[in-house]
Amino acid sequence: MALTITCPVCGKRNGYEFRYGGEDKGPRPVEEGMTPRSWCDYVHMNACVAGVQKEWWCHKNGCGAWFTIHRNTLTNLEVEGVEVTS
Amino acid sequence: MRLDRLPTLRINPSETCTLHYNGKTSAGVAGDTVATALYANGVRVFGRSLKYHRPRGLYSLDGECSNTCMAVDGIPNVRAENTPAKNGMHIDAQNVQGSADFDWMGFMDKLDWLMPAGFYYRTLHKPACLWPFALKQVRKVAGLGKISPDFKMKGRYAEIYPTADVCVIGGGAAGMSAALAAAEGGLRVILLEARPWLGGSFDYRVSPYDGEKALYQRARELAAQVEAAANIRVFKHAANVGLYNNNLVTAFQVGPEGGAFDERYIEIRAASVVVATGCIERPLLFENNERPGVMQVGCAHRLARTYGLLPGRRAVFSIGHDLGLEAAVDLCDLGMEIACVADIREDGQNPDLLLALAEREIPLLRGWVAAKAYGAKQVKKVTLRTLEGSVKRQLECDLLVASAGRTPLTGPLTLAQARLRFDAHTGYFLPADLPAKMHAAGSLTGRNHPLAIEASGRLAGLKAAADCGANTAEAVAAAAARLSQLPGPERGTKLVMAPVKGRKSFICFDEDTTVKNIKQAIDMGFDVPELIKRFTSAGTGPGQGGIPGHNLPLFAARYQALAGATPVPTTARVPLVPTLLATYAGAHHDMCKRTPLDELQKRDGGVFRRIGVWQRARYFSEDFSCREEVLNVRNNVGMLDGSTLGKFRLHGPDALKALQRVYVGNMVKLTPGKIKYSAMCNEDGCVIDDGVVVKIAENDYYFTTSTVRAGETAEWFRYHTRYDGWDYHIVNFTDALGVINVSGPNARKVLQKVADADLSNEAFPFGGYREFVIQGGIPVRAMRLGFVGELSYELHAPASYMVCLWQILAAAGKEFGIRNFGVEAQNVLRMEKCHIILGVESEQRTNLLDLGLGFLWDRHKTETKTVGTVALRQVEADPARLRLVGIEMDDPRRAPRDGSILVDKRIRGYVCTARRSFTLERSVGMALVEAEMAALGTRLEIYEDECNGQKLAARVVPMPFYDPQGNRMRM
Ligand SMILES: [Zn+2]
Repeated sequence: MALTITCPVCGKRNGYEFRYGGEDKGPRPVEEGMTPRSWCDYVHMNACVAGVQKEWWCHKNGCGAWFTIHRNTLTNLEVEGVEVTS
Repeated sequence: MRLDRLPTLRINPSETCTLHYNGKTSAGVAGDTVATALYANGVRVFGRSLKYHRPRGLYSLDGECSNTCMAVDGIPNVRAENTPAKNGMHIDAQNVQGSADFDWMGFMDKLDWLMPAGFYYRTLHKPACLWPFALKQVRKVAGLGKISPDFKMKGRYAEIYPTADVCVIGGGAAGMSAALAAAEGGLRVILLEARPWLGGSFDYRVSPYDGEKALYQRARELAAQVEAAANIRVFKHAANVGLYNNNLVTAFQVGPEGGAFDERYIEIRAASVVVATGCIERPLLFENNERPGVMQVGCAHRLARTYGLLPGRRAVFSIGHDLGLEAAVDLCDLGMEIACVADIREDGQNPDLLLALAEREIPLLRGWVAAKAYGAKQVKKVTLRTLEGSVKRQLECDLLVASAGRTPLTGPLTLAQARLRFDAHTGYFLPADLPAKMHAAGSLTGRNHPLAIEASGRLAGLKAAADCGANTAEAVAAAAARLSQLPGPERGTKLVMAPVKGRKSFICFDEDTTVKNIKQAIDMGFDVPELIKRFTSAGTGPGQGGIPGHNLPLFAARYQALAGATPVPTTARVPLVPTLLATYAGAHHDMCKRTPLDELQKRDGGVFRRIGVWQRARYFSEDFSCREEVLNVRNNVGMLDGSTLGKFRLHGPDALKALQRVYVGNMVKLTPGKIKYSAMCNEDGCVIDDGVVVKIAENDYYFTTSTVRAGETAEWFRYHTRYDGWDYHIVNFTDALGVINVSGPNARKVLQKVADADLSNEAFPFGGYREFVIQGGIPVRAMRLGFVGELSYELHAPASYMVCLWQILAAAGKEFGIRNFGVEAQNVLRMEKCHIILGVESEQRTNLLDLGLGFLWDRHKTETKTVGTVALRQVEADPARLRLVGIEMDDPRRAPRDGSILVDKRIRGYVCTARRSFTLERSVGMALVEAEMAALGTRLEIYEDECNGQKLAARVVPMPFYDPQGNRMRM
């Protein structure tokens, strides 16, 4: 895999070590007044940005942390500026 | 006869090997390729072409086309030019009926007028009913290698993943200079070379490098320096196949005979990359330009200089580059008669070479080109014409060395997204811009002077070192200054094709695409090379565009010159050269896990099966119905190795919140000493896991998951709490702890003998959790569960105690006749109780409610944002779902196979698990059916694979089948 990912704990590693956790859509919305459609949108619909997007990755073959990175989907390269969230 | 004294040889004539081809044995020598060994034995026709069955021979000696693709030891489409000859190899020609020399399908060549461009697309699909028939006939006569369905690939395949500061692709003079320059400051450098030796285009040439040395001597000098540098790792016989962003370089390496691997995959992560892949030759387009006996300059020259084989007796040259003149002079010196050299160029030749030709009295025709080759299977005669075609001359020869010019190997650069631009001076597609930390060097950039090639390599190597943080600014400036004083790129020939119509001028050999086909495609409106490529399939064969890559865009632009077309290259794709799938597959280690009781289970006669990542004992006899194992648990007592169960500790101040988030049950109500069965859903409400949770102490929990979910559970918890910043820890004990299940009416009697605790039903009831010690030394966590439906103890103990614990229990149970049961017996036992296994009684779309497990869900804990509950609430009233039901077969001795479908006029559901039950003397099971068929008593018809329309009859019955009140597990 050409992609490398910078884990906040372990540093820059081969993309093989990570699991993709989807686009960062923010925490789950409140349940009050939610329709099947709006719930389905939250769970399954993606922005599919052609460019830089913020997304979740898990260092599954490493420290096990979930964290977000910014990745350019056109070049499949990580963009500098990693945020630690857990 | 080999020229066995040449200093440039890469063979060892004193060491011979034997190949089997065409019913004969052929002798080769050490260092031969399959193709050169056969050539030495007089083979000139190596195979027949894809569509027209035209004879094909040695052309590039680098595997740029399928001409010499052969079956080697049963492997089809092996590039004979790139494959080292090994003793005892069996070689077969491809796409021949008869032999390569006498092919019964040779008449196909006369039928080319029947097969215009896009023939298959346009002709054979209409009417559509004709296609299956046409397909069969086409497959019989067209195509390259065949493989037997029973073929088993032999050999050892490996993979390595090295890291480098600088990776240099190409081990010619430029690549070696780049590697040496990059390595000067101590950086780690990797050098990849496709041929089995370093040296590139210098390796076989005796022309002067400087006043003292010849080119080949310079190449060996550089190679010695490279090999001696401790920080340069050289991979020879390693063809680059891919180049990705982030400078990930992939290659396939052929191993030495008798070495540790036959072929291996190399994946290199480099900080900076230098591409120095050099040039190949641009084929000359004329009539019968691929007839055996027509070959490229480098092929003829290297046959002699590298392999000691004079390619012919009397040669005509039709070339467009100084390398052609150089080869003519050298081959003349080696004893070949050169009838004539036709040079496309009117002027611009190297004066030293002109002088050398004159000294040898070799006639030179400037502004002339080969127009047609004659000879049924081999060249016998050639027509030369002036470029505009007005004057012609015919010459007899058995070798026609033909090449229009050179073409840079830009494949790796295009893979890395470099933009290529047509350069009018050289006629090449040259990189207009390069990605970051990537550099091009050598003849690839259009330079041809040996010193300029080396200087451009050194410059690229120093720039690459700078990418890695080395301070090479001064050295870079000096190298750039030196390069600017050396000769720049030379003017390339403009000629695209000889002055002919092109009916038999082949632009792509692999796909039998002629110039005429290209014209047809353009006339039909396929106006850009990418479209022409797909419609005519030019460049889609094993040679990956090596032959048509340059000519196709040049010709397309030329043909449409009035429309203002400019040459646009087609896209290169991975793999850049053909590779074995076996190498991609790699070493194929079976990565499985074994439980601490593995040895004991084997000794007891366990029959093992792979289940997920584990090897588990599925049966303990050859009776796969497991009758004895099942009845022994029902009537007596049995032991099962349950160590594969997922086991976790969850602790910390926010541990309870985390449990509440992922489990559908309410964990607030947990009390120490009691277990709670619960399930996890995904965001769609579909069940992904079930297991039990125990509260060990405040903020400290122990829980189990199913075997297949163990690997992902920690990740699942962390994912679903990722926004919360909660303080808890999850520890995976799956491998640290083992599990033994003691089950059956006599289980208490066995366990009581060795446990230090009161195990009476009052002291340790069903659903309880206790910690005690076995035989004064082994700490166990015990749970009273009823998965198999009998009195049952699940004992969790540290993995290192497991063998001992098993032996203690086995000894204690001896007087009762305790015996092992395996996973299949457990499967039957739990099925009789209708206890589900997720993934068996469920699939991806099955939710908690479908399984009748709605009672596990606590609807009132909405503030916990439990995963899956939003969706569950939304589908609660949905009637259009499958339901899990119990089924009983009309025939008590015949259960359907798992996964069989339930049908009436359409598919209405499927059988999850069904077995003949020896306990009940009925055949029963569980099935997922459409809700309207879930009512008790509904008749079902089951369609089993290969049932020949004889459907099996069943009906819906109450669950569970065995001990519906659950008294036996509460004993
Ligand atoms: Zn990490």
